[in-house]
Order: sequence, then C-alpha cells, then structure tokens
Amino acid sequence: MKVTFPHLGHAYIAIEALLQGLGHEPITPPLTTKRTLEWGSRLSPEETCLPFKTILGNMLEGIELGADTVYMIGGWGPCRLGYYAEIQRIILADLGKQVEFITLEVPRGGPSQAWQRLRKIVGSTDVKSLVQGAVLSWTKLKIIDELENLSLWVRPRERERGSTSRLLEGQLQRIREAQSIRAMAKVRDRAELALQDLIDPKLTSDILRVGLVGEIYVAAEPFVNLRLEERLGYLGVEVVRTIHLPQWVEDHIFKNALGLYKQASLKRSAAGYLEGFVGGHGLESVARSVDLARQELDGIIHILPLACMPEVIAQGILPKVSADKGIPIMSLVVDEHGGEIGFQTRLEAFVDLLQRRASLCAANRSI
Amino acid sequence: MDGACLALKSYVGHSQALIAAGVERLFVPRIISVYRGEYTCPNFLGLPDLLRPYLPSGVKLLSPILDARKGQGKLTRSYLRFGLKAAPWAKVWRAWKEACLMQRAAEISSQSALVPQGGLGVLVLGPRYLTDDPFLSGNLQGQLERLGARVYSPCQVSDQVSLRLSTNVEKPLFWSSARQSVGSLEHFQEEIDGVVNLVPFGCGAESLISVLIQRRAGAHGLPTLDLVVDEHTSYLGLLTRLEAFYELLERKKSG
Repeated sequence: MKVTFPHLGHAYIAIEALLQGLGHEPITPPLTTKRTLEWGSRLSPEETCLPFKTILGNMLEGIELGADTVYMIGGWGPCRLGYYAEIQRIILADLGKQVEFITLEVPRGGPSQAWQRLRKIVGSTDVKSLVQGAVLSWTKLKIIDELENLSLWVRPRERERGSTSRLLEGQLQRIREAQSIRAMAKVRDRAELALQDLIDPKLTSDILRVGLVGEIYVAAEPFVNLRLEERLGYLGVEVVRTIHLPQWVEDHIFKNALGLYKQASLKRSAAGYLEGFVGGHGLESVARSVDLARQELDGIIHILPLACMPEVIAQGILPKVSADKGIPIMSLVVDEHGGEIGFQTRLEAFVDLLQRRASLCAANRSI
Repeated sequence: MDGACLALKSYVGHSQALIAAGVERLFVPRIISVYRGEYTCPNFLGLPDLLRPYLPSGVKLLSPILDARKGQGKLTRSYLRFGLKAAPWAKVWRAWKEACLMQRAAEISSQSALVPQGGLGVLVLGPRYLTDDPFLSGNLQGQLERLGARVYSPCQVSDQVSLRLSTNVEKPLFWSSARQSVGSLEHFQEEIDGVVNLVPFGCGAESLISVLIQRRAGAHGLPTLDLVVDEHTSYLGLLTRLEAFYELLERKKSG
C-alpha cells in the first residue's frame, strides 16, 4: 500500500521508517505550506481548528502524489481530535477520493474487530523487518528530539543568524537517509559537535530562557506556529520545550492503550489550579507552567489553536499561575488568518518585557 | 474569558449574579461524564477551576466529581459520597431516592410532552444551556412557535432510544450531547420538516457534529439552518434568518 499521513514537525522522518518496516510504501506529503492550508480550509467545516485544516491539506497533497491509503490517529474524547479522522474520512469520500482511511486508535468492539484492524495496518511483511522498522523509527524520533533540543540552546548563541537552522535541517535529512542505528549515532555525534561549533565565543550577556507549553500540534509544527522557536531564538531567547514527541508517543499511545498512563505527577503540579484532566493537553499546559515557574525561567509562552476546548480552560487558569508564581505568561492563539507581523510584534514586546524584568532583578540583587 | 463559548461566559455571569445576591456556597460539579463510555464537553471537566478566578475568595465551591464513564453506579456513588459530607447516611439516602424520583418524573414529562398539531415540524438542536434559555437563544423556541412551527428537541428522546439510533454512525460518538442530537434527528425524521442547529461560536464539539447532522439531515431530505451565536449576536438578525428559513420550509412543503 502507498500510505500518506499528516505532518507533525520532523516526525515524518520516523514515520517513514515505521511504514517501511510495516511493509508499506510511505508517501510523505510536501511540508505544510500556504497551499496546504488553503486547500484544507476550503474543504473543512468553518469552525474546526487550524490543525484540522492543515492535516486535511496534508492528506490531499499526499493523495495527489499517488497515495491510496491515509493513516490518521484517533481517540475517544473528550478532545475533539478523536473525531477528526472520522470527519476527514467523510470529506475525502465526498470528494470521490478512492482511498482507504485507517484510524489508529484502540478500537471499541470485540477482539475480532481489533484483529481485523491490525491486519490492515500491518502490510505484507515479516516479523524481523517489522521489529527492525519499529526500532529504527523509535531511534530516529529520539535523535530528532535530541538534536532539536540542542539547537534550541544553540540558536540564541549562534555567530551567524540562521546557521543553526540550516545545519539542523541538513543533519536531519541525513538521519532520514540513515538505515542503521550505528549510522544514526554517527550522524548525531557529528551533528552535536557541529552545532556547538556555531556558538559565538564572544557572547557574554545572559540569555533569557522561555518555556513553551500548549497544544502539541501547534507547538511542534513550525508552519502552524509561524516558526515560533526560530523567531524567539533570533530574538536572543533560549526556548525550553515541555512537549517532546518521544515522551508523547510513550505516554499517549503506548501507556494509554495499555491503561498505564497515570497523570499523578501532572495532577500534583497543577494542584490548586486545575484538579484533574480536561482532555487534550489542558492539564499538561497548567502543570508544566507551574513546573517551569519553579525552575526559575524568565517567562512562559502558551500556544493554542483558536477554539481548542482544553487549552481554552488552561488559558483561563494560567493568569492565576502567572500572578501567584511571579512569572510572565503569554497565550498566543493561532488560526488560519495568522498575521506574521503582528505575531512578531507581540513576541518582541514580550521579550522586551522579560529583558527589562531580568535586568531589574539583577540590579536588585546587586544592591 | 478569552476564547470561551457563550454558554461558559454566561455561566460565569450567572455565578457572579448569585454571589452578588449574597450566596456563599455555590454548587459547581465537575461533570466528567453522564453516560457510560461517553464524555461531556471538556469545559465541564474544568468548570470549577475555570470559575474560581472569577469569584471572590470567600465563596466556597461545592464540586463533587461526577463520572459515569464506568457506569451509572459510579455516578450514584459520587453523589452519595458528596451528600455524606453534609448529612448522615439515612438522610442522604432519602434525599437521593427523592431526587431520582423527581428526575425520572421530569424526564418522563419532557419525553411525553404533547407537541401541538399543525404547522411544520422543526427540530431544535444545540447545547441545552443555550436552547432552553430564552435570552441566550434569542427566544428561538418561542419565535418558532409564533411562526406556527411544532418544535421538537433532543430532551424528548430517551437515552436508550438515542443510543440505539445513533449507532449507525461509523464511529460511535463520545460526547453525550452529540449522541443525543444525532439520535433525536433519526427519531424525529418522519415528523419534522427541517432542523435548526444552535452552535455557540468557538465550540469544538459542535463544529464537527454540525457536519454530521447536515449530512444525515440531507440524506433524509431535511434542510438545516446553523445559527452560530456569541455575545455579539444580534437577535434581530437571528430572527430574520429564522423567518427566511421557515418560509423556505413552507414553500418546500407546498411543492
């Protein structure tokens, strides 16, 4: 089967490896662009959120490239992501696209249904290549995360603007091509050294550190968040991620499917602000913000798609966290009408505020 | 409250009005689920936490966790546990029994409510917090009746019926309100001539469910009208659209 799937940052590199292991031919859609969004939003219900529209656009562009199967994740609520796949399947069917739509979720119904679905997901392959694909894919996902995190640290310290992003992109393409764990480890080690070489040795001033919380898709997909991490990096800010794809896959896919995903530590952190889970990443956003405040970061940016129900709850609660813990928090809402200039202005204003605050604190301390 | 829907905003307003009237304790349950395997809207899951910052600190919130995901028995237990904090066992049990009877009576009376004869049948869907409130819905029901319509609503359909009728969706619906909407559309399809769907702006669930409802209504040859409301809605504009829709239904009926 020729399988296409939606984008999520650099995850496509790992997904390709996994699909090959499953015995499918991956059809990676082109990276999300304005065309993707316009195509997707033309066919989407007006009030669905930005992720729905870009994901639908990814699927359409993948089908355009010749895919005959679409993979999409599902779920059982209360976040509406669980129902996306179903609506997208209907939209594609209405368009007359002859594709098989496979929703990856824990199926409801008997074991025979579960087995049927599993048979569909696993193509013609043997156990050995299946395991190999899974291991490769998992390693790729972890290395991508490591390199991206390192680049977040390097970017505000780089000598030449833009060099970190260029180097990272090149190295990630090499990870994409790598076919063994040893080759990948080699690329990673070299990339780590090369990234550290980009640092400006003359740099003396303190670097601001800003945490990033929010909904995973908009936090991880650079087109959707208007390259937020890069923008902050160029403003001289080190971004601290709280959402890591490998962690997310482990918690929400494996542990959740087995019923082992416990949110005790999140609940402990969010105690007093949000008691219990509200779907999506609402609880995470609040809990991580409290954690970040404890780690003495300079500020927090909370990013969410317009009309995202769980994040709207977090957005309503975060001002209280900000006031109690004395840490500035800014919520950024993204939708398909995102104006880059306005976005940049808000970021600059926020960073200005953080700088002023940091220098005041430093002055106070020296007295 | 930025980004919140009309229902949530008015809930905050209602609570503040109660506080201003001298109320010291507010019953704001955390409603996770009211039916097995289903959820309510995510806003209900965080309702007490959302409300807290908007209330003066002296007010006490009574927030039991109501969760029927694992069956109705759990729901009963959480109510009883909540009651035991305030009163002895016998009293709680008596109150619970009485509440069950009252609820049952209310459900039966709404399910067997007689719909007047004549006119065209219109099914009004949407969150009950809005549709049942004449102010927030722009007196939708009253206006429809004034135009001569027979008004149907999802609360006239029992859970069992809507559950059975909504199963022919390919993927089971995991929001109770959505399941009721789809189920009642199937239940009343013979009796109605059109569907009015009241959607609060920014409601994540409704934005997807309105697609399903439009498709299913379309399959039965029923026109639908989506009315998106928020706090800036002009109810005069709403009325104009409603009248135009009703006229269209009449013209369709007379061929």
